[in-house]
Amino acid sequence: MSEEKAYRRLETSQLLQQISFRHMLEAHAASEDGNLTWITSGFPVEIPIAMGIGVVYPEQYAAIVGAQKVGPDICGLAEEYGYSNELCSYARASIGATIKPDQSPLGGLPRPQALLACNNICGTVLRWYDAVSELTGAPVYLFDTPPIDDEQLPHHVAYVRQGLHKLVDFLAKKFDTTMEKENLRKVSQYSSDAIRLWIDSLEACKNKPSPLNCADRFLTMAPVVSSRGKDYCVEFYQALNDEVRGRVKDGIGAIRDERVRLLWDNIPPWFQIFRFFNGLAKKGVVFPADTYTHAWSGKVSGDDLYGSITEVYSNVYLNKGLEAKADKMVQLIKDYALDGFIMFSVRSCKRYSLGQMVTRELVTERTGVPGTIIEGDMVDSRLFNDAQIQTRVEALLEMFV
Amino acid sequence: MNKFSLVAIVLLYYIPLDMFFYATETCNHVRFWTWNINIIRDKMYKTKGNALHKVDSLLSDGEVIDSSTERLRNLSKQGGTIIGYLYPHTPIELFLAHGLTPSLMRVDPQMSAGFEDSLQTFACAFTRNVYSQRAHGGFIDYSGFLFPGNTCDALQNVGDVWRQRFSEDTVLRLTYPVSPRSESTVSFLAEEMRLLSKALERQYGKSFSQDEYSTAVSLVNSFRTGAQFLYASRIVNPETPSYRELVGLVVDFMVAPVEGLLRDLDEMVSVAKSTNDAQGKAGLVENVLQGLMAGTPLQIHIEELPEHTRLLVLGGMVDPFNLAELVDGIENATANVIALDMLSFSFKSIFTPTVESSNNPYISLAKAILGAPLEPTQEGLQRRMAFLRQLLETHIFDGIVVCEQSFCDPDEFEAPSMYRIADEIGIPSLRLPIDPELSDRGRLEGRIQTFLETLEEDK
Ligand code: SF4
Ligand code: SF4
Repeated sequence: MSEEKAYRRLETSQLLQQISFRHMLEAHAASEDGNLTWITSGFPVEIPIAMGIGVVYPEQYAAIVGAQKVGPDICGLAEEYGYSNELCSYARASIGATIKPDQSPLGGLPRPQALLACNNICGTVLRWYDAVSELTGAPVYLFDTPPIDDEQLPHHVAYVRQGLHKLVDFLAKKFDTTMEKENLRKVSQYSSDAIRLWIDSLEACKNKPSPLNCADRFLTMAPVVSSRGKDYCVEFYQALNDEVRGRVKDGIGAIRDERVRLLWDNIPPWFQIFRFFNGLAKKGVVFPADTYTHAWSGKVSGDDLYGSITEVYSNVYLNKGLEAKADKMVQLIKDYALDGFIMFSVRSCKRYSLGQMVTRELVTERTGVPGTIIEGDMVDSRLFNDAQIQTRVEALLEMFV
Repeated sequence: MNKFSLVAIVLLYYIPLDMFFYATETCNHVRFWTWNINIIRDKMYKTKGNALHKVDSLLSDGEVIDSSTERLRNLSKQGGTIIGYLYPHTPIELFLAHGLTPSLMRVDPQMSAGFEDSLQTFACAFTRNVYSQRAHGGFIDYSGFLFPGNTCDALQNVGDVWRQRFSEDTVLRLTYPVSPRSESTVSFLAEEMRLLSKALERQYGKSFSQDEYSTAVSLVNSFRTGAQFLYASRIVNPETPSYRELVGLVVDFMVAPVEGLLRDLDEMVSVAKSTNDAQGKAGLVENVLQGLMAGTPLQIHIEELPEHTRLLVLGGMVDPFNLAELVDGIENATANVIALDMLSFSFKSIFTPTVESSNNPYISLAKAILGAPLEPTQEGLQRRMAFLRQLLETHIFDGIVVCEQSFCDPDEFEAPSMYRIADEIGIPSLRLPIDPELSDRGRLEGRIQTFLETLEEDK
């Protein structure tokens, strides 16, 4: 059976190329106009967009570096510059491409005028953006959202909210612009609409067969990360949702012969995203859910938009403790009727990965389903031991025979 | 006579007098644990200078750690409640105000760095070492552990893992703002501390005592003030006191912040002052001190300093005493070449501004903590690098040594900026990848030795 036969390609993928292209064109134009920010994936993008400021995502760029299989080369550029190969490969790829854009995919990202980092996904982003700031001269605004242990306490809310106001002041001053409340409302609406459609597409995967596999979701999540808040983003997710719901209605699965349903935890290995998941598709393994793409599910809404942004962006998946991560996995396993799980221990990402051994035990204890941990990296393929990973995955799959 | 017997005799000689002395004092808790914890070190210091030098030089590093652990064990046996902490900017005054003993959990160079079932190999070397100590039962009987929140990903996640794996432990968390001092960061941290104070009261049944707090503030302020002077003084006279003596005392204070150490500190200060006075350098030291405290350029020129190789050591959560021991162990070298370090458990803790008295202890503590020299875990790379540039532009340092702890993101992100600045100013730098176990000790020693030789040749 060929790979195409085991795995069904999404029609919406073509739209994805268009939207990505448009996003990059807009970013280049913004940079030329002195109006571009680089921002982290967990940043409240609604704010700069509502203020008419361009955004582009170095994490997405690094994923492209990974997917183009040049991770070791581009990370190597940062290493030659003194950055340790133990650091996050998203950061290394982005720093490498900033140092030598001519040697990097797409000629690197367009030059930023400011760098907006939110540490709700990890502490690394601050240091990474500080390093880029040294290289480009663009100032960093750090939106500090301290991790939450249990619930978000009032002083935490107040602190984060103050950071939001300072952010608006920073952007207004830096880009000589203002925040119009109506714009924020409109942008938040687009953002919420896109997220609503995205969540609905994710939830459609509760069906058997699952209409989407992991690689589908990892690729189609790009606009919800980079373009939420834009009208064309809503259009894209409408198209995706139509296709997904159509698949459900017709009983069409993302893979042809769905036999085992697994949960994926963590970022994927971008350099072999198709090979890995399609290889498993041939064995009847589908991934109807993962912890990564489900992270973009917070809707900004209500009368108090700043309050809503504060709450949504403080409570993201990676900003919570190990217990919350285990709870989320347990919930997904139950809701999506999954048989087991694979945790990718990504050396780059301590916030996501450290503690997975404990989480694995907790999740198995609470759900009764088995899981395995495979080790590697999402961009730096030098850290990916194919044979070892295959052995671990095979061992897990044998449990379902 | 072996070294243990010698230590035992020194101790026995002093203990009865010590016990008598403290038994006559009102037993507020600061004095209470002064009596308990400080028995060994206090008494070794009594004959200042000689005994200290003698005993320290007889102990290998592992034994120094054993002895400080022993002191804590004694305290624990006496019913003291010891809370282990990991992050340098811990409000130790707050714990003391609750009648608790905050104790820095130091890394143990003897610990075999096995990777437990719970931590992947890419947890930083510091957290792995401490975690291994707990997993192997190498710790004293801590009554609780304080983890910092929002400092680095390793500590954040390892704290969570600890809670799960050692569910019998009391694990507390104090979350810090990443940004430097401002009204909002101070209020956030102050509220975090107020909540921590409530948690301590709930957990240990000991309420916050204003008297104990005032005593603790005065203890910590006095220690910091004295030590700050010594850091400045050592730039001028790196041998008075030696690097090892100074950081040994600082680390001791973090392990057990006791009043008795103030006496040792005072003695070091008075020796240093006499030396500076004799050389006519008192004013120079004062200028250096002001510069270090304010983070402004040091008013100093190389011609004003006695001839000496001067290194500036940079890095984060590297144990300064272990580093001193490493350099002292190198043939023909001494840790006194380290004229200044900017390590977390050393300079960055000591140069925390003194805590001001106010009606709100949490605000005062938060202001002090957030006024400390910035850690690589915090926002402010530009400010840190600007300060480094100022220091290097004085040209009083012959070279810099940058410690990069294995898998420490903050260290590893910061290091390249440091090399670049040193390079621009024309100061040689040495990259020192290091872990608490000094697992590649021979190579580390070799690198330092070669670096020092190169600096000597260049002079
Ligand atoms: S450390 Fe993890 S969360 Fe942070 S930028 Fe890297 S991959 Fe993303
Ligand atoms: S700052 Fe570095 S050494 Fe300290 S705990 Fe974090 S990663 Fe480890």
